[in-house]
Amino acid sequence: MNSFIAFIMGPMVWISVIIFLGGLTFKLVGILGAVRQKEPYIYSYMTLKHSLRSIGAWMIPFFPRSARMSPIYYGISYLFHILLFLVPLFLASHIVLINEAFQISWPALNDSVADGLTAGVIAALIFFVVRRFRVPEVNYLTSAMDYILILVVLLPFLTGFLAYHQWVAYQWITVIHILSGELMLIIIPFSRFSHMLNAPLTRAYMGSEFGQVRQAKDW
Amino acid sequence: MSEKTSWDWETELKEIPFNEWKTHFNWVQAPQVSQNGESIAAVVNLDEMVFSVCVNGQVWEEEYEKIWSLTSVSDSGFAAFVARDEEWTLSVNGQEWTHWCDFIWQMMKSLDGQFLGAAFQTDSEYGVIVNDTPWEDRYENLTGAVMAADGTSAAVVQVVPMPGADVEAFKKGVFSVACNGVPEDRRFLNIWDISFDTAGRQMGYGVRTDRESYGIVQNDTLWKNRFESVWKPEFLDENSLLAPVRINGKWQLYKNDAPFWQNKYDQLWHLTLSPDGKDVAAIVSAPYGRWRVAVNDTVWHVAWDTMISDIYFSQDGSSLAAVYKHKDVWDLAVNQTPWQMAADMVFVPCLSQDGSVVAVVIQKKGQYQLVVNKKTMASGFSFMADPVISADGSKVLLKGIENGIYKRRIIRV
Amino acid sequence: MKTKENPMTDTPSSVEKPTDPAIESGLERLTPDRIQQVIQDVLKKETGPRFKAYVETCMHCGLCAEACPYFLSNDRDPQFMPAAKVKNTIWEMLKKNGNVSKDFLRRAVRISHLECNVCKRCSMYCPFGIDIAYMMLLVRRICHKLEITPQYIQDTVNSHSVTLNQMWVKDDEWIDTLQWQEEDARDEFEDLEIPLDKMGADIMYSVIAPEPKFQAGLIYQAATMMHAAGINWTMPSTPGWDNSNMAMYTGDNEISGRIARAFFETAAKLRVKRIVMGECGHAFRSVYDMGNRWNSWVMPPFEVVHALAFYHELLTEGRITIKEKYKKKVTLHDPCNVSRGRGLHDKAREVVNMVCEDFVDMVPNREHNYCCGAGGGVINCGPPYKGERMVNNRVKAEQLAATGAEVLIAPCHNCHSGLEDIVHHYDLKMEIKFLGDLIYETMDKKIYTPGA
Repeated sequence: MNSFIAFIMGPMVWISVIIFLGGLTFKLVGILGAVRQKEPYIYSYMTLKHSLRSIGAWMIPFFPRSARMSPIYYGISYLFHILLFLVPLFLASHIVLINEAFQISWPALNDSVADGLTAGVIAALIFFVVRRFRVPEVNYLTSAMDYILILVVLLPFLTGFLAYHQWVAYQWITVIHILSGELMLIIIPFSRFSHMLNAPLTRAYMGSEFGQVRQAKDW
Repeated sequence: MSEKTSWDWETELKEIPFNEWKTHFNWVQAPQVSQNGESIAAVVNLDEMVFSVCVNGQVWEEEYEKIWSLTSVSDSGFAAFVARDEEWTLSVNGQEWTHWCDFIWQMMKSLDGQFLGAAFQTDSEYGVIVNDTPWEDRYENLTGAVMAADGTSAAVVQVVPMPGADVEAFKKGVFSVACNGVPEDRRFLNIWDISFDTAGRQMGYGVRTDRESYGIVQNDTLWKNRFESVWKPEFLDENSLLAPVRINGKWQLYKNDAPFWQNKYDQLWHLTLSPDGKDVAAIVSAPYGRWRVAVNDTVWHVAWDTMISDIYFSQDGSSLAAVYKHKDVWDLAVNQTPWQMAADMVFVPCLSQDGSVVAVVIQKKGQYQLVVNKKTMASGFSFMADPVISADGSKVLLKGIENGIYKRRIIRV
Repeated sequence: MKTKENPMTDTPSSVEKPTDPAIESGLERLTPDRIQQVIQDVLKKETGPRFKAYVETCMHCGLCAEACPYFLSNDRDPQFMPAAKVKNTIWEMLKKNGNVSKDFLRRAVRISHLECNVCKRCSMYCPFGIDIAYMMLLVRRICHKLEITPQYIQDTVNSHSVTLNQMWVKDDEWIDTLQWQEEDARDEFEDLEIPLDKMGADIMYSVIAPEPKFQAGLIYQAATMMHAAGINWTMPSTPGWDNSNMAMYTGDNEISGRIARAFFETAAKLRVKRIVMGECGHAFRSVYDMGNRWNSWVMPPFEVVHALAFYHELLTEGRITIKEKYKKKVTLHDPCNVSRGRGLHDKAREVVNMVCEDFVDMVPNREHNYCCGAGGGVINCGPPYKGERMVNNRVKAEQLAATGAEVLIAPCHNCHSGLEDIVHHYDLKMEIKFLGDLIYETMDKKIYTPGA
C-alpha cells in the first residue's frame, strides 16, 4: 500500500503533469500546423490586437451582453473557473508537498477559507448538474459525457473536502483524491476540457474576423 | 496594327477644341478617341430624345432617339449602337447597317477592324450579327458571344426550353454552343468562356457537366478529366488547348487533358500567350492572397497583396507588363521591375514591338499622366486615351484633353 | 396556418410544412453510399482544425439559445437554438460517420436552409466565439453536393451560373432597363446620364438583380443622387453588374467564386477606383467578405462602399443637401451583414438623423439587432416557406411594435422584403422604406458645385 501511495504521489504526479502540459502543447502545435497546412487563410485574418481585444472583453465580468442576459450562470461559472485554479494552487497542504519536493513555496490560503471555497466549487458543480436537468435548452444538448466531465471535476474537490474533514476512511479518500486529481489532469488534453486551450483560439479568431474584417464588436 | 506606319508620326501637335462643343449641344457625353488619334468623338444631345455623334466638330447626318457604346474602329473611325423608332442597329461612321432589331449590345471588333459584330435580340429571340449579317438561327437565350479574327462568331445558346424555376430541366443541360449560328449537339448545365485559336477554326470552352463536375471541351470533344472548376482555356497552337483547372482546392495548368505546369496555385487565371507562342504567362496567387506573375510555371520574385488585373506581352515576347494593385495603390511592373508610381489607376499599357519601350496612362489625384519607361512625359490632362508606340519604337502617340482642348501629340522617346 | 386574428400565438407545429420537389427528387436519387461518401468528403477534405476546434470545444452550455430569433420566436423551443441545429446535423453526421438516413437529411436541409439565417448573432453569445453559421453553411454545402437544395434558391444559383445574375435577367434587358431609367430621370435633370462602361470613372455603381427585375425605380433614385452629387460614375453593361450571390448561401462555392470574380474583374476592366453598391446586405457580405476569399483575395481588391456609407459621405461632404427633413417617426433596422458584418450601424444612425426629424431606436440594436428572418438565403427558398418564416420571427414583430414608429427603414433588400412580410403578417401598420427612398424624397434636387 505504501509503495502504491508513493507511486501515485511521486512518479504518477510527474506523469500526469507531463501528459497534461505535453498533451496541451502537442495539441497546440498540432492545431497551428494543421491550420498552416489545411486552412492557411486563417492566419491572414488573425491580428494580435483584435484577438486580445476580444479575449479581454470576454474576461471582464458581465461585460458581454450574453453574460448580462444569463447573469447567474455566468457569475457562478466565472467564479467556478477562478476557484478551479485558485484552490488547488494555494492550498496549504499542496504547497507543503511541493515544498518538500522542490523547496519552493508561496503563501497559502487559510485552511478554513480554502475549505469554504472547495465547498463553493462543489456547489457550483451541483448547480451545473441541476441546470443541465432543469433548463430545457441545456438539457436538450446534454449527453452522458457532460455528466461524466462534471464528475471528473467533482471527484478531486469532493474527496479533498472529505479528506480535509477526515470524516470517513481518510486514507482511501486521500488515495481517491490523488488519483482523481491526476485523472483530471490527464483527461484535459483529450476531452472537451481542452477548451482551456481551444477557447482562447476560437475567441481570438472570431475576435479578429469581427474586429479586423467586419469592424464590429463581438461581445 | 500594321497600318501604324501610315499614320502621321511627324506632326508634333494637332489640336481640336473639345470643350467648345458643349456650347453647341445640350450636353456632350464622354469622349472617344480614334486609334490613330486624328479624331475625337462623343455622343451629343441635340434635343429631347434626339442624339447624334460629333466627330471633330462634325455631327453625323442621322439623328437618333438613343445612342450608346460609341467605340473607335479601324484607324480613324467610330461605331455605335443607335436607335430609331424603338429599333436598333449599328452605325459605322454614320452609316447604318441594314438590319434593325429590338436590341443590340456587346460590340465586338477584330484587331484589323475588318469585322464588327454584336449580340442582338428580335421578338425575344437572340443571335449574333457580324458585318451586318445576322445568324439565321435564333435562340431563346444567348450569353458570352465571341468573335474570332476572321469574323467567325460563337455564343452559348439555350437549345431546350426550360420553364421557370425548373431545376430538374436545368440538371439535364439546356445549353449548347452555337458557331456562326449553328448549335453543337452536346448540351451542358453551363458553358463559359469560348476561345478560338488564331485562325478562328478551333474552339475551346469550359463546361459544367453536373452539379459539381467541370470539364473542358476542345473541338467538340469533352476532356476525360473532371475538375472542381475551370477558367477560360486558350489555344497554344491549333492542336494544343491550355486551361487552368481546380483539383483538391488548388489550381493547375492543363494542356490537352494532362498536367502542363507542375506547380499548384491558390489561383491561376488570365492565361496570356506570347505572340510567338513560346511563352505562357498567367496571374497566380501563391500562397493565399499573394499575387504573382507566373511565366512557364516559374513565378516572378515580386508579389503583391491586392490584385494583378491584367498582363501583356510585347510582340516579340521579350517583355511582360503587369498592372497591379498593392497596398491600396496601382502600379505597373515590367519584367519583374515595379515602376513604383503609386497611382490611383493604371490603364492598359502599350509595349513596343521589341519590348524596349512601355508607355502607359495613369491617373493621380483626378489628373491623367503619360508615363513612358518610368518617366512622366505629360501630366495635368483631364482625359487621356491609351497611348500608341510607333512601329520602330522611337515615338509615342499621346491622345488626351488638356484645358478643354484635345491634343494629339507625338513624343520622342 | 392559423387565422390572422392572433398571429402572435402561431407555433411551428401549426404551420404546414411544404414538400419541396427539389429536395424530394434529390433524396430519391440518393443511395446510402453516395450520402456517406459526400458527407465524409466534405467533413474530411474541406474542413480543418477550425471545424475540429468548434466541435470539440462546445461545452453544451446553451448560452447561444438567447441569441437566436428562431428560438425566441418559437417559445424557447430547444430544437431552434443554434447548438441544437449543430447537434441535429453535424454532430450526428460525425457520430455516424456520414451514414445517415434520408429522413435525417430532409430535416438537415430544413434546419440549415430554413431555420438559420447564418446571421452570426450566436457567435456573439457563445463565450468561445464558435461560428455556428459556418457549420450551417457546411451542412448547406453537403446538401448542395447531394443535390437536395430547396428549389427556389437553387434556381437563383442556376441563374447565377448562366447569366451571372440572380434573376435570369438577360443582357439586353439589363441595359434596356438602365436606359429606360435614364430616360425617365431626365424629367428631373435634363442632362442626366447613366454612363455605361465609362472607362476610368471614379465609381462603379452596382446593384442586385431584383432591382432591374422588379424595382427599377431604385436605379432611378440612385442615378438622381449620383447626378446631383456630381459623381464621376459608371455602370457596367456586361455581366458582372450584379453583386448578389445566392451560391454563397447554398454552399456552391465554385459558382460563388465565379460570380465574385466576374464582379471584381468588371471593375478592373472599367478601371474604376471604388465600387458603390445599393442597399443590400447579403450582396455586401458576398463581395466584402466571402466571395473574394474563394478567389484568394484576402480582402476585396476594390474598396466596396455600401450605400449606407456612401450616403454618409454624400451628406457630410455636402454633395447632397436635405431640403426639409422627413417628419414621420422612423425606426431603423440594422441589417446583419452591414452592422454585424461591417460595423456601419453608427454611420446609418447619423444619416437617419441628418434626414429625419423623429428617430427612435429599436431594442436590441446595432450588432445585437435581430435578423429580419429573411436573410442568409431563407427568403430565397421561396413562397412555400413564407408561413413558417413569419412564425419563426415573431420576436422581430414584437421588437418593431415596441418602437411605435410609423416608418421602418430597412437598408437591405432581403430585410426589406422579409420585414414587409412581417409587418403585413403581424398587422403592424408600418411603412417600410429604403434609406435611399427618404433621401430621394427629402433632398434638394440641384446639382452640386464644388466650393459653392
